[in-house]
Amino acid sequence: MRVVVWAVLAVVGFKLSVVHVQVDGISMMPNWPDKSVHWVNRLAYLRREPQRGDVVAIRFVPADGTINQLEPPHVMLLKRIIGLPGETVAFVNGQALINGEVLDEPYEKDGCDWNCAPVTLGSDEYYVVGDNRAMPPEYHTHGKCERNRIVGKARL
Amino acid sequence: MKIISRLVLLAVVIVAGVWLWTILFPSPEKIVRKRLVQAAAEASFKSGENPLVSAARAETLAGFFSTNVEININVLEFGRHNFVGRTEIMQAAAGARTELSSLKVEFPDMSIKVSPDKLSAVADVTMKVQAAGQKDFNVQEMKLTFQKIGNDWLITRVETVRTLS
Repeated sequence: MRVVVWAVLAVVGFKLSVVHVQVDGISMMPNWPDKSVHWVNRLAYLRREPQRGDVVAIRFVPADGTINQLEPPHVMLLKRIIGLPGETVAFVNGQALINGEVLDEPYEKDGCDWNCAPVTLGSDEYYVVGDNRAMPPEYHTHGKCERNRIVGKARL
Repeated sequence: MKIISRLVLLAVVIVAGVWLWTILFPSPEKIVRKRLVQAAAEASFKSGENPLVSAARAETLAGFFSTNVEININVLEFGRHNFVGRTEIMQAAAGARTELSSLKVEFPDMSIKVSPDKLSAVADVTMKVQAAGQKDFNVQEMKLTFQKIGNDWLITRVETVRTLS
């Protein structure tokens, strides 16, 4: 009986803390290839806030209203955090600038020529962008993301 | 023993009663959720659909909206489109059926906020669309406003939302 209870608790705990995701699209190439399968840790930000460089799953529908917080969203964006609350983010000649200083991005492999006007983040906003900057910025979903849209940290 | 079996029976009756109540008198949120699923099903179509069936389904789809509905779509892939009224919705539905051989529309995630007077509601949804021949699906966040008009919950406004601003 005890084994069954522990097994049930383990399965429920796993389901609540981890989400299985499949990448659909090329915006996180080459580090997170199209159709690759990963896990999202929903408990990653219980004790600490998201960090620069984290790849996070972002919900489309805000986490309010009648949405069931225990049930993970079925469709999410997968993006990397480059800007933290209060910072100003811009792209100049393909380089990401945080508060005017160039951000070192070892995960960004292809280089790009993006130019995007500075954006100042609010107290609960993060700037997220994909790793594939070879695509034009207008075709690449990126920008400010509210904290309550971040579902968890993705793992390769 | 008799008391326990009576208590169990009472619990079963209460649970069944509550379940029956929710079936017979669904909450506005449940109604809106169901309407969204039905609207997505009517907006979807498969190749080789009979033209008469297509016309009937386009009319059914229009029936989910109020007569003065406003739809503002602003998506990079499709550009900016505005529709006003049921007739324009029917025309758009017919146009989609002419241009595409099949279309699948789904709302996999929904968040519904019903107003305190329970006469209107706002649904934030993730819309997933896959057209014929497309390898990948398109995903778009949408905001739909519902109003209770007579006995029906009708969509009065639809707009696209930029998830990342």
